[in-house]
Amino acid sequence: MTGTSVAPRERGASYQWSARAFGLPAVLVVAVLLYLPFVWTSVISFTEYNGLGSPEWVGLANYREMFDDPNFLTSLRNTLLWVVGTITIPVGLGLLIAVMTYDMRFGVWFRLPFLITYAVSPVAVGVVWSFVLQNGGGLSQVLEAFGLPGAENRWLLDEPMNTLVMIGAWAWQQTGVNALLFVIGLQSIPKEPLEAAKMDGAAGWRLFRHMLWPMLRPLTTVVVGLALVASLKTFDIVMAMTEGGPGRSSETLALTMYREAFVNSAYGMGSAVALFLSVVTFIAAITYLRRQLSPRHEW
Amino acid sequence: MHTRWFQVRIRYSATVAGLAASALVLAACGGDDEDEYGSGGAEAPGSLSFYTDKAAWEPQFLQVSDVSENALGLTLDFTGYSEADQYSAFIRQSFRTDEKPDLFTWHTGSELEDLVAEGLVAPTTDIWQQSIDEGNVPGDLREHFTIDGEQYCVPMNAAYWVMYYNTKVFAEHDIKEPTTWDELVAAADKLVAAGQTPFYETNILFSFVWFQTLLAGTDPELYAALSSGEASYTDAGVVDVMNRWREMHEKGYFGDPGDQTEPQVQLKNGTVAMINFGTFLSGQLNSVDMVSGTDYDFFIIPKVNPDLEQTPLIFETGPICTAEEAQNRDLALQYASWWMTEEAQTTWANARGDVSFNPKALINDEQLASLNQEAGTDGYQLLERYFEATPTPVLTAALDEFSAFVTNPGDPMPHLETIQAEAEAYWSDQG
Repeated sequence: MTGTSVAPRERGASYQWSARAFGLPAVLVVAVLLYLPFVWTSVISFTEYNGLGSPEWVGLANYREMFDDPNFLTSLRNTLLWVVGTITIPVGLGLLIAVMTYDMRFGVWFRLPFLITYAVSPVAVGVVWSFVLQNGGGLSQVLEAFGLPGAENRWLLDEPMNTLVMIGAWAWQQTGVNALLFVIGLQSIPKEPLEAAKMDGAAGWRLFRHMLWPMLRPLTTVVVGLALVASLKTFDIVMAMTEGGPGRSSETLALTMYREAFVNSAYGMGSAVALFLSVVTFIAAITYLRRQLSPRHEW
Repeated sequence: MHTRWFQVRIRYSATVAGLAASALVLAACGGDDEDEYGSGGAEAPGSLSFYTDKAAWEPQFLQVSDVSENALGLTLDFTGYSEADQYSAFIRQSFRTDEKPDLFTWHTGSELEDLVAEGLVAPTTDIWQQSIDEGNVPGDLREHFTIDGEQYCVPMNAAYWVMYYNTKVFAEHDIKEPTTWDELVAAADKLVAAGQTPFYETNILFSFVWFQTLLAGTDPELYAALSSGEASYTDAGVVDVMNRWREMHEKGYFGDPGDQTEPQVQLKNGTVAMINFGTFLSGQLNSVDMVSGTDYDFFIIPKVNPDLEQTPLIFETGPICTAEEAQNRDLALQYASWWMTEEAQTTWANARGDVSFNPKALINDEQLASLNQEAGTDGYQLLERYFEATPTPVLTAALDEFSAFVTNPGDPMPHLETIQAEAEAYWSDQG
């Protein structure tokens, strides 16, 4: 150090100012793009607002109306079906495919077809599957050609079947990427304990239950957590396949939010549904992750 | 010395970086005052920013724009949205910015009332009076653009709702154009007996069409009263109409409401024999190589109740509006005035392959031209399409309920009660 020296206190203060200045852009971006919209949406949810003029404060009226509306409850039920369906089918099938193929010679060729579908956007998946599932569409024609029952089913018209077949279409797309993630997890498991277990006679279900499954836990937590959040905000594929109909029979919470805000221009009610959905997603994700990542948690 | 210099340098750089980012964010939030005509708007005084949710109609709008360039020295700077909900949100938001649209398409009824209530739309009362005086628009049309005694916007288009049919299917089953409701029912019965589906129906968006036809054709006063909140969806007259609709389903009159094949293709393929649709279907039928008068034709839907003096005829019109604080407000109003003239309407209607609200417009399609004349005679009562006549929240609920009803035709009461609940909530808010 040469020349004039700076007192430690003064130097600390100047570093702090520098640090704050460097942090300012990031803070602004987060504040303007993330916090501000959330706060604004929360405020609007307590108002009646058509996007023009000034919002009118109505207190909890939007929330009361929301929970009194049977269509909202249908939407809630459908969203729960999506959560359960998404976690059991694409995640479950992905795990099955991964476990069966991860140490198989040429296993990649078995997994590849499942992965290709991930390159397709959910809207395109919805459009293609709506051709397959519409009355007299591809599926009905195939069932009829083979003399199988179900050709007369109105797959996309009757509830809750329409939601269930859409979960099937979603599984068609999502299974591959889940399988890929599980394979990465399985391949990162140390070989030694597995070899030891195999030498001790563990194989098949026992090997999976007592060795693979516990060692996959960190990755399973991530995959299920992502599926949980994705399923709670299901929108695009339903919009492309049924637009939430017929009537409002296949609507999810995200579609209800869209319908209120952008179709009815009832931004207050739309914001109330959005806030409800955000809080549910937040609580579900936090509760799940806390439980799974807690060191005391036992499988 | 070096350390000191370095500290100052870091502090300076960080401050500049912070200020630059703040400026960027503020610039993004604020308007751009230097760009006189707006980045998304017109490029020069002779060009007006024009927004619409009818993106597919761009070639037709641009044809009119070419004519207006010669006539007025004004062209349209076209921005089309293909998603109506996105468009509606965009226009509503645009009024909060400095880029208010010179011209934009909108909806009559409650959607227009929302804008007028906030003083966002330029009045067009003088333009209407002049156009009516010059015979460019029927005076009856004015009431649909009137709010509190003033007119707002001008009609973009006009369409009548009629029954299109596949001429080959009619000839095959020896069916003539029905002139009474009984003849229409007899034709449908004949087609069903021959294994041919008579009518098109859909559960997406246009699920209201047959409700509109049956109610307007049975009791036009009740139809109008329902739109204005003076009647209830659970009134006996409405319930009777729904039951008639259900009976028609039970007789197998309607095609699959879940079939997403386009209506023009369904008519061309003979999947259905008839389509109850707006006259803009002519353009869509022409686009699949069907020839008017040869492959397809249409007739005015006979009144359901034979005791009515006039035959109810559903028409629709959508407005072109000017923002009150638009940058080129006066030029835009000049354009709106020109839009109603014979010159503009002849170009527009023929480009679209549709009728025009201007009776002087020269329509090339003979069938449409004769409909344009016939609709103006005393035998017909023009009723506004259900879609525009019904306030948006009630309409949204009704479209959902009709969609559910046509998919699973059954007891209409739960559907009607749901719509009525929405209607009561809406009309009580209106005071």
